[in-house]
Amino acid sequence: MDKAIVIENLSKTYKNDRGIQDINLEVERGEIFGFLGPNGAGKSTAMKIMVGLMKADKGDVWINGYSVTKDYEQAMKNVGSIIENVVPFSYLTAYDNMKLSGRFNSQIDEGIIDNCLEITGLIKYKNEKVKNYSLGMKQRLGLAMAILSKPNILILDEPFNGLDIQGMVEMRELIINLSAQENTTFFISSHLIHDIELTCNKVGILYNGKLLGVDSTKNILKNYSSLENYYLSEVDLNGDS
Amino acid sequence: METLKAVYINEIFKISKKKKFFLALIFSFFSVIVAAIAVYFLNNFAGIRITGSSDFSIMVLSVLSYTLFPLFIAFICIDMFVGEFVDQTIKLTLTCPAPRFKVFLGKILAIASFIMTNLFFVMVSSLLVSIFVSSSMPNLIKVFLAYIMEFFPLFVFALMVVLISNIAKGTTSAFMFTIFIFLVFNGLGFVFPYFKSLFFTSSFDWYTLFLGSYINSSKIIRLFLILLGYSIMLFTAGYYLFEKKDI
Repeated sequence: MDKAIVIENLSKTYKNDRGIQDINLEVERGEIFGFLGPNGAGKSTAMKIMVGLMKADKGDVWINGYSVTKDYEQAMKNVGSIIENVVPFSYLTAYDNMKLSGRFNSQIDEGIIDNCLEITGLIKYKNEKVKNYSLGMKQRLGLAMAILSKPNILILDEPFNGLDIQGMVEMRELIINLSAQENTTFFISSHLIHDIELTCNKVGILYNGKLLGVDSTKNILKNYSSLENYYLSEVDLNGDS
Repeated sequence: METLKAVYINEIFKISKKKKFFLALIFSFFSVIVAAIAVYFLNNFAGIRITGSSDFSIMVLSVLSYTLFPLFIAFICIDMFVGEFVDQTIKLTLTCPAPRFKVFLGKILAIASFIMTNLFFVMVSSLLVSIFVSSSMPNLIKVFLAYIMEFFPLFVFALMVVLISNIAKGTTSAFMFTIFIFLVFNGLGFVFPYFKSLFFTSSFDWYTLFLGSYINSSKIIRLFLILLGYSIMLFTAGYYLFEKKDI
């Protein structure tokens, strides 16, 4: 199968000795991969390195066959991302913020921007300045910006943060639909086990900066009563190693 | 090239939407008006001849190049670098498919455009206002040359603020540090006049070298090379820190 994301020996250690250690991972095209772990496990660190916001001490990430460290522009060409909380430019409107992202792709016009704002339920507020937006609206705007250029890979760090129940359900449906219809690959991190179980078809457990196990959701649910049980068992078995 | 163009347009777009941009233009315009009123009254009522119309634009330039121009350049540079890191909007810029060098270069080009716009705006408004100060026609070539030449030292100053913005952790500390360096450089130039030309802040009036009847080409070349050296060093150091930054 075609590999959308390959992570090789990825390591990053902060001054407080926390971080991630020797993460190796492959995500096939069209998969919805869930990166599950408690707060501080290193999920955001790994994802920041994946999108070039942070430099790894060791290792590399290959996206669509291109190295993030050596060929960033090509690697990120077909990637959309949300990293931690979305912080758009508050003095601009939602439409202006979308235009900033859209300028990197000559095919994006007003119609496509409106369509993305429609999908994320922000079309009514497109000319309103972002400083008046709620946390959930900013998160939706982040998603609208991430899907604007129809990327074939979406890297979403805690995408359900700040969303209400309806927003979470809509986000989940959008992810599943994009994966099914457009064969979009998703790399999603969350500490919300339930959302990962309902959304992802492959799960990796990250604990104390180490990747404890990777398996398909189908297999996990065949062997364990829930994803939560699988998570607890992996942490019990390998968490202290 | 398309990526760099997109980054540059985005940065220009962001500057144009900032209140600081309009404040810079408004304050620049008002300072020209205030200068014109002062010159008009001194020329006509106090019996002191300050300047004719051909020199009015140059006089405005000599005042603003040490006051408002550096101030607004500092505001814009700090906003575009440390400001975006502090409010985390830099994440949106850096996750676009543009390598950091192109992001850095796009920002620098946008700052250069801002400096040019501000200089052009002040030049045009001072030329228009100078018509009311005196009836004689201003020397357009002289004025134009002075404003073009002023771009270079202001750009070097902008690169210094960019470097400071990549060292400082906050916008206030970046601003205070910029003022400190500006004052120290000017002070050192005053205390050690022999080494004055080594401090780029003393070059803010280097356009005067082009306006006299005698052109001192060796001094112009020397100052140009000093400014060029500063530009290369400040650009490289600023980019090095920008590239290394983890978000």
